[in-house]
Formats: sequence, C-alpha cells, structure tokens
Amino acid sequence: MSNATAITEVKNPSPSARARIQAFGGFLTNMVLPNIGAFIAWGILTALFIPTGWIPNEKLAEIVGPSITYLLPLLLAGTGGRMIAGQRGAIMGMIGAIGLIVGSGIPMFLGAMIIGPLGGWVIKKFDKSIENKVPAGFEMIVNNFSIGILGFLLMILSFYVIGPVIESANNFVTSAIKSLVATGFLPLLSLINEPAKILFLNNVIDQGIYYPLGMQETLKEGKSIFFTVASNPGPGLGLLLAFSVFGKKAAKRTAPGAIIIHFLGGIHELYFPYVLMKPLTIIAMIAGGMSGITVFNLFNVGLVAGPSPGSIFSYLALTPKGNFLGVIAGVVVAAVVSFVITSIILKLDKKADEEEDFTSSIEKSKSMKSEGKQILSSSLVNPTSNTISKISFACDAGVGSSAMGATTFRKRLQKKNINGIEVKHYRIEDAPKDSDIIVVHKDLYERARLSHNDKKIITISNYIDDPNLAQLINELEEK
Amino acid sequence: MLSQYLKNNVHFLNSAPTWEEAIKLAAEPLLNKGNITEKYVQDMIQNVNVNGPYIVIVPGIAMPHAQNHDGGVLKTGISFLKLKEPVFFPEEKDVNILFVLAAEDATGHLELISDLSSLLIDEDAMVKFKEASSETEIIEIIESVE
Repeated sequence: MSNATAITEVKNPSPSARARIQAFGGFLTNMVLPNIGAFIAWGILTALFIPTGWIPNEKLAEIVGPSITYLLPLLLAGTGGRMIAGQRGAIMGMIGAIGLIVGSGIPMFLGAMIIGPLGGWVIKKFDKSIENKVPAGFEMIVNNFSIGILGFLLMILSFYVIGPVIESANNFVTSAIKSLVATGFLPLLSLINEPAKILFLNNVIDQGIYYPLGMQETLKEGKSIFFTVASNPGPGLGLLLAFSVFGKKAAKRTAPGAIIIHFLGGIHELYFPYVLMKPLTIIAMIAGGMSGITVFNLFNVGLVAGPSPGSIFSYLALTPKGNFLGVIAGVVVAAVVSFVITSIILKLDKKADEEEDFTSSIEKSKSMKSEGKQILSSSLVNPTSNTISKISFACDAGVGSSAMGATTFRKRLQKKNINGIEVKHYRIEDAPKDSDIIVVHKDLYERARLSHNDKKIITISNYIDDPNLAQLINELEEK
Repeated sequence: MLSQYLKNNVHFLNSAPTWEEAIKLAAEPLLNKGNITEKYVQDMIQNVNVNGPYIVIVPGIAMPHAQNHDGGVLKTGISFLKLKEPVFFPEEKDVNILFVLAAEDATGHLELISDLSSLLIDEDAMVKFKEASSETEIIEIIESVE
C-alpha cells in the first residue's frame, strides 16, 4: 500500500527513524540497480576472456581491469550524484570518484557510493546559495566553473583521503586474518572474509594470504582448506537465489542472470551489488561462509590449488580424489544457509514496509481525530474562522499536477453542489497567504511547510482519487 | 481540445529501459514538432530527481512536466506514450501511461488539463482507455468525455 498517506498537520513530528532507515535503503538500491546491467556485461566478459576463463583471450581481457576499476565505480558515483542533484550532481559525483579510484588502486565501489552523493550534495548546496544572485548572461559561466572548481577540489580531496584509508583497511584485514588463522578455528575467518570481499579486498586476502598458506599445506598434504575459505561460491548462490524468490521487482528480475555469472562463471563480484543494496544481508554471507568452512573441516577436505575464478566448475576440477562429497556438501550447505538467512532478511524487510503503512494509517486516523477536534474547538471559539473559502493546490511549477488536482477537485465539488469555495493552483511558494488549506503531493510536503508553516497542509499521493481529498470533501459537505 | 492536441502525438511501445528514457521517448513527438527543446526534456527529468515522483498523478499514470523557464517550451502541447510493460519511477512506482505536458504559460493549457481530468475521473472511460491500443481508440475515448 504505497499510497497510504497522512493528513499532515502543521508541526507534525519528523518521520520515524525506521522510515529514515528505509529511505536510506531505498537510496542504496536506487543507486545500484540501474547499473546492474553494467555489472553483468563485465561479468560475462570476465568469465569468458580472463586467462582462467572459458575462452581465454588476452586482447579482450584487457577490458576487464579498467572496466571494474573505472567504469563500474564511476557509474555508481554518477547515479548517486544524479539522485541528489540531477545531471550536475552526476558530474560532480564522477569527478570526485575518479580521485578516489586512482588514489586507491582497487575497485572502489563503496567509496564511489559515498563520494557520488557527496559530490551531488556539494553542488546542490552551492547552487542553492547562489540562486537568483547570478547576473543575467553569466549563468553558463557560473554553472560550468562552479562544477569545475568544486570538482577539482573534490578530486584532490578524495585522492588524498582514500589512499591511507585503503592501506589501513588492508593492514587491518591482513593482521586480523593472521590472528584468526592462529586460533585454529577457521570458520571465524568468514567474519573478515565476507565484508572484505564486498569492499573488494578479495584479491588481497585470497592471493595475499590464503593462497600462500594453501600452497604450503598442499606441498605437505596434497590439498588445502585455505583455498576454499574465501572462494566458496555457495554463499553468493544462496543470496542470489533468495533475491530471485523474495526480492523486490528489479532486484528479483536481475538476480537469476547474476546467478549464472556468479556460480557457473565464478565471478563473485556479481553478487556484491545485491549486498550493497541490502547491507544487512552481509550476515547471511558470513553465516553461509562459516557453515561452508565448517563442513569442509568436518569432512577434512580441501582443493589442490587456488580456484580462480571461484566457480563451481573450478571447484570440482581442483577437488582431489575422494574429496568430492565433502567439497560439494560444503558448497551446498553454504548456499542453503545464506539462502535461508537472506530470505528472512528480505521477508522482514517487506513486513517492515507493511508495518510502516500500518503505523502511518494509525497516525492518519489520529491526526484526523485531532483535526476534527481542532475544527470543533475553533468553531466554538470563533465561528467565522471555521469556514473554508480558499483551497490552494500547489506543486513545483504550478502548471501541471497542481492544476490537475485543482481542476479535478473543482469538478468533484460541483457534482456535490458545494459552492463558494475558491480552488486554484499555484507554485508552492506563490500560494496565497489567505488560503485556508494548502494541498500538496506528499513528496513536496517539506517544501510546502517551509513556505506555509502556519497553514493547514493536506498531503496527497493521488491527484484524482485520494482518500485525504475524499475526507475533505466529506467535511465540506457536512457544512 | 485534448483530443485535437493529441493527434499524431500518440505512441505505443513494449517497454522502456528506465523512467528517464520513458520520459524522453514520450516527449519525442513534441521535440520533433518543435513544441519543446531538449532542455525541457532534461528539466522534466530533473524535476523528478529534485522533487520526487509526484508527477505520477495516479497509480500507473505519470504526467511529466516542468516549469517553462529559459524558453524550454515554445508552444503548448501534450503527447502520450503507453508501454506494454511498466517502467519503474523512483520509489518503485510503476507507470505504463505517460502524458507529457508542455505549458507555454500559466493558463493556455488549462483546458487540456481539464479534459485530462475529466478522463481520469470517468471510471468507465478509464477502463476502455487502459485497454486501448491505437491512436484512434485513444482519441475517440477522450472525445467522448470532453
């Protein structure tokens, strides 16, 4: 029920913390989802052409590195910036991200998802501060140079900030893994592995730590569990399966494709965006990884070399004789565990949405009640102030949706034979001060409140047939 | 009046990759006829980015529009696009009917809006309208409510 709205009264409490968290989650999703296609393109390319791919091709494999280092983070940063401040935000976001990318030397997804919106925010603030102050004829030069100069500064800032951050993250991950290996309880490694993978430190941990450890062990015993601790394709499979079944809309539709590239192609990066969309699912990944390692341990199995890329096929190809049952069990168990936990997380998410609708409808009925009281008390105190004679519909431009709302509302009043009420449409800021009620779309409520703090504001989500408008008509009819 | 304005401005497509594309595709007839400039198309998209998807005026139906500043609108007009598969606007609002509105000034288009509103509140007409698959059908239905 997305059209559950509240008759919002003046000085309404701010949205609940949960609503804000949800909005933030939606923001992450909207930043990642439009770019999934690029991830898939890159995934296919990589699965096919890298030296350990299906049809190795040295020439075409040259695209792999730059795509994941530059293209994908830039796309994310651009989308993030655009969501904050339109095309100008997109440009700022990407300018900032390139500093980050070059400064870090590894694919900077998370960083790009921070710097993109940040860039958008900077230019939005700037644009706001100079609004209406630029002399005519100078708009173009101010527009271009503001992005130019602010972008230049952001580029340098992100370049210098990111290097040390990545270095310390690397150091932390390396020492944490070493101390965990020393405990001898390997499933704990997932606590570091899974977050580090999402942050694109997977090569650091695999090739820097686990493969050397694995090779030592292989020399002695002919196989090693260390090759499996961070490369198990099971957890990612479970996560993507859960998204395929319980995900929402676009995430649900793209997940099956991602499964093929991840599980069969071994390109784990394909599931990273889904975790970034719903950060809580990292719990599922950790639990999946842990149970995988536990099973490998239990069966005392390992691989003979580092499976790169980590697809089910390279797993099977590198499994020594007699280890097949254990290796397959480890992958399957990991997938099942991460599937179950991701499903629960996705389900809870849906439930939270429903609850939110539920609470907002409670709020609505409460505010309706208090509104009723208000009308009642004001009519007792001052009978004349009770009459509603001017209702103003407002929107951003004051030409389109507000006009639609006002026109439709007038027609409805006519049908009910309610006369003597002026219904007009305006730009939010131009709505006359003597309006009795201002009607805006719920997305524009904040802005309307800025200009009309003392007015009764009704929010709607449907310009033709909104319960709040129906309610208003009922009230008017009773008079 | 709406029916006249929509002549040759009605399009049907299977799908659009993004809501931004959907707005662009829906605005194409107006752009080609010189009613609006490229800038206005960007302004409409920007409007959603800044103010949210409030242009989705009723579930499934969007009315992309923006303020006419810097001469983005040269001549008042309206165009129509219907998608077989809905496209998702922000906040996961799915839309498969788009009316692109270009208003030259604050008043010239109000009759268009009024006709559109008559259509949207007429439940019988809307049932037919949602089924319609050709320009002739669309225009006939609108004429019936004008």
